[in-house]
Formats: sequence, structure tokens, C-alpha cells
Amino acid sequence: MNNPYEVVPATIYEIIQESPLIRTLRVQPEKPIPFKTGQFIELTIPGIGEGPFTPSSSHFISENMDITIMKTGFVTEYVHRAKVGDKVGLRGPYGSHYPLEKFKGKDLLILGGGCGLAPLRSLFTTLLHEVEDYNSITFFAGAKTPKDCIYKDSVTDWRKYDNVTFMRSVDVVPDGEEWDEEVGLVTSLLSKLDIDTAVNPAVVCGPPVMMKFGTMDLIKCGFREENIYLSMEKKMYCGFGQCRHCVMGEFYACKDGPVFTYARIKNEEDIWE
Amino acid sequence: MIIKVDEFIAFLYKCQDKGFSGFDQIILPVRSGNKDSDSFYFAQLSKSKEFDIDSYRTVDPLKMFFFLPREKILPQTFDNTKRLIVGAKGCDIRALKVLDKAMINEDFVDPAYFYWRQNTTIISADCTDIAPTCHCNLVDGHPYAEANFDLNLSRYKDVYVVTSGSEKGEELLELLKKECKVEPGSPEISANIQEQRNKIIRLLEKQNEQYERNNEFEKLKQNPMDNWSDESKTCIGCGACTNICPTCYCLILNDETKAEEFVKVRSMDSCQLNGYARVAGGSTPRPKMFQRFRNRYLCKFLFMKSNFDMLGCTGCGRCTEACAAQIDFRQVVNSVLNAVVD
Repeated sequence: MNNPYEVVPATIYEIIQESPLIRTLRVQPEKPIPFKTGQFIELTIPGIGEGPFTPSSSHFISENMDITIMKTGFVTEYVHRAKVGDKVGLRGPYGSHYPLEKFKGKDLLILGGGCGLAPLRSLFTTLLHEVEDYNSITFFAGAKTPKDCIYKDSVTDWRKYDNVTFMRSVDVVPDGEEWDEEVGLVTSLLSKLDIDTAVNPAVVCGPPVMMKFGTMDLIKCGFREENIYLSMEKKMYCGFGQCRHCVMGEFYACKDGPVFTYARIKNEEDIWE
Repeated sequence: MIIKVDEFIAFLYKCQDKGFSGFDQIILPVRSGNKDSDSFYFAQLSKSKEFDIDSYRTVDPLKMFFFLPREKILPQTFDNTKRLIVGAKGCDIRALKVLDKAMINEDFVDPAYFYWRQNTTIISADCTDIAPTCHCNLVDGHPYAEANFDLNLSRYKDVYVVTSGSEKGEELLELLKKECKVEPGSPEISANIQEQRNKIIRLLEKQNEQYERNNEFEKLKQNPMDNWSDESKTCIGCGACTNICPTCYCLILNDETKAEEFVKVRSMDSCQLNGYARVAGGSTPRPKMFQRFRNRYLCKFLFMKSNFDMLGCTGCGRCTEACAAQIDFRQVVNSVLNAVVD
């Protein structure tokens, strides 16, 4: 019998310090872990613990994987102490993925902020792989300050496609920091949106408060609830609907999600917490 | 099929011989402490302990034999202990069905749970008495098992009526037939058993009269939070209710890797604890005690119902018995349901 708790050992071969609190681990698993963009994996720091993280690399690559992680709790504290060459463990992939087939031929909006950009980078780079299949892709990325912006090295690349718009906004520019792009909440970029919101899909991921108000703003812009895709990252402890920590009413964030349409979960309680 | 109680007990003792029965352990309800004690716990059959197959449910839930409080699940190191559990009650058997649905389904099989289930034979027994917190009648249950057992015993005076419910049960029955004098059942004894069962149901109905309610559980969710806050005032959030609940199976996975090989240990968790659903960064959907208190009731009556098409409460009443604050589960459900304004 297959052991569903089985861990695939992986080696960290590169670490990119994206911002003071966020780093991307580039890991090489002992055997490929094919996944669909939006799905998550459980990353183990041996002897310390594990946590759910969404790969931030394209799902067209399965031999290695990028995982972008913010230092914010017990396990991630150790993630940020990890060094190149360290061994970690991976389980998964688990959960639902972004329905790319529903995005094809459409004008897709991607809205995200902070470390919520991790799954969105996976989605975005996956889309770029077949970029001509999409009518247009608009990616609005937010951060607190210029220093907190992640994936800085990719920005130029991401802006070279004719049908792709990539815009960034920071909440504030502290004295001494330079910034020549937008300033304000990421949702303020929505005023620059030029697509038919009634028929096109939007994907949102970010800190809970950003997801909540982002979703409300999208609805105000005319997006339909069933076209708004949310990555609901909860305490997905086991990954396969057993431990019940991520239960939202009748749904499991890990098994039925993490990718939900807003229409599906809007009646559940405390979804933004 | 009918067998004398004495002969059945003698058969159980004989089953202690593995060569004869194939079982390593015979487990059954044993009276706790002194002779006057009216509580039972599961223990191995031994001449020095007073056991009672009939009566009512044990203090400890049947789940602890299948979903261990703490168990290493990676790497797999399961022993092959064959167990015979005798005297499981209707509430526990029904609860085991909930766990079966959770642990063995098309998306997921928990290997440890699966092996424990495979290696265990269960003989259930009708209740011949009730505990003060028993309330299976309020959750569409019965003081006897209807399915999901290997063999079932219904006691009438000095005989057991034996019913088989599975292939494993059939095999054991064959062994029983070889060893003991068995007689075919009769309409008369069936009627007596039915009467006996009805008698226990009437006892339950009388005991729980004051908790009779309209089972529109959706209302638990609609109820204003103030009611939950009132009901949970004395709750200290210890999690005893969930640990002892026969259907609670929330788990945590601890990484105990010390060397090259990854080691994972699965333990029980409780949604009553503050850190339960907390994510990195400190955010939690249920920071207040009354929210976590309420979550347990919603889980039992709504979430599990929608996940497994079964109620998560089988009316064993253990949560009430175990509660340090003496919160009566039935009372809470009742008053919250009654407090809903249509």
C-alpha cells in the first residue's frame, strides 16, 4: 500500500533572498514532483516540522521547484536559516489548481500582494509558456515598500510580451528608497484595467485583508463571483482532508481548494481570517 | 442462532490460545475499580478482572484501538497483532463507520488505521442498561448495533442471540459452532430480544425527555453568537470532549526526523485548543473560546453530515461525562436550537 504520508527528500540548490522577509528556495527533489499550478506541497524541515507552501515555479518544470516563503512563524523561521545544500522533504502535490482551460482565449487579470505573489508567479510563468493561448494577461502586483517587492529579477522579462501587462504598486515609499512605478494599494491599479470585466476571469492571492478587499473591489468593477478565483491558504496540515484544520464549513481548503471561486465559498464563515 | 452465555464465555477464554483462535488479544469491557463501580473500560480478558459484555458503553471510545492517540506513520512499522474486541456498543460501532469513511475512501487510505481495522474482529453487544449521559435515541441511533460489526450478541436471560455481519464474523461463527452447542433461533426469542431492545429505548426516551428537540440542525448555525457565548461560559477549552469523542479524528503530524530517514508521527488534535487553526503570522479563524466551542457542534451536526452523510454525534454522551465544567452536550444542543427565532 502506498503511504500517503511519504516524504520525497529534496536538496536546496539555490536560495534567492527576495526581500528582507521573503526568500525563494530552489529545490531539487530526488524524484520529479509533477503538479498543476495552484496546487500546494508540504515542505518539511527535518526534525523541526512542515508547512504547506505553493510552488512558485511553472508547472511545466517538475525536476526542480521554486518555493517562495515569508519568515512569519516557527517553521518558516527555520526555512530562513536553511543553507544551500541542506536537505528538506516534500509531500504532495495536493489540492485543486487554477483552471487554465477556462482562462484560454480570455483577458485574465491576476491580482496579488506580498507573499501571495508566490502561487501567482507559478500561474504567471505557466501562462507565459503558452502565452499566445490567452487574449491578454494583466498582472497587478503589490508590496508594502519598494524593498518588499519580490521577483525583481524577472520584471524585465515579464514585460516583453505584447499581450501581457505587468504593473507594480507599493503602499508607501519610505524616505531614502527609490521607486518610479505606482504608489498606493494594489487594488488602486484596478482603475487602469481595460477589459470586459463581466466575462473575464480574475485570480486573487495575498494577505487575508488584501484578498477580502480585493475581491470586493473586483465585484465592484463588474467581475462575476464565479469568475473570481481565490487561493485560500489555511492551516493545511496534512494536505489530504484528514486533519480537518483547514475546514471551512463543508469544504476543506486542502482538498476542495486551495483554489476556490468566490461564488463557491462566499457563504462560509470566517473565510478571510 | 442461540448460545448459552456461559458457553460463550468459556469460548472466549479458549480464544486466548492463539493456535486455536488466531487472536493475540481478547479485549472486552472491564469494570473499573471496585465492585460497585458503574463504569467500564476496555482491557484484555483475564480471570482477575470482572468484565461485562452487556451493560452500556465503556468510558474509553472504541476509536482508540484504530486511531491511536500517538502513532508513527512514517516509516511504516505496524505490528501484526490480531485482536478480538468483544462488547462494543451501537454508538461506537456507528462512530467507527464515520471514521471508516474518513480514513478509508477513494481519495485517501490511512495505512495505520487500515491495518488496525483489518487485523481486528469486532463482536458488538446490545446495551442492557444505560449510562446517565447516554442519548443515542436523540441522534437517530439505537442501543444496539445494526451493521458494521462482525458478530453481534443480543442477550436474553442466560443466552445470547448471535448475528453475523461480515465474512470475518462468519468465520468466527464457524469456530464457535465447532466448540459450543448452538441452537437455531426462534420467532419467540426474536420477539423477546425485540422487547428487550424496546425496553432500553424506553429507558433512553425517559432519561432524555427533557432534551427532546426538533432536529433541524441548520439552526445551530443560524443561532445568534450570544447564545453560544452564554453556553460556553464555563468551558475551559481543555479538549477532553474531542479526545474522548468516538468520531473526532483531527490529527497533527509531527516531524521527528533525527537522521537521514524522514519520521512522521501522527497525534490527536483538538479544535477546542486555541492554536488549532492558527496559521503562521498568528491569524486564526476562531480566536474566541465560544467560537471553538460552537465549531465542535457545527462539525458534529453539519460539517460531518455533509462530508460523510452521517451525524458526527452518535449519542454516547462521553463528552458530557468527561467535561470538567460539567457542560451537558444535550442541554447545549437543546437550548441553542430552542433559542432560534424563526
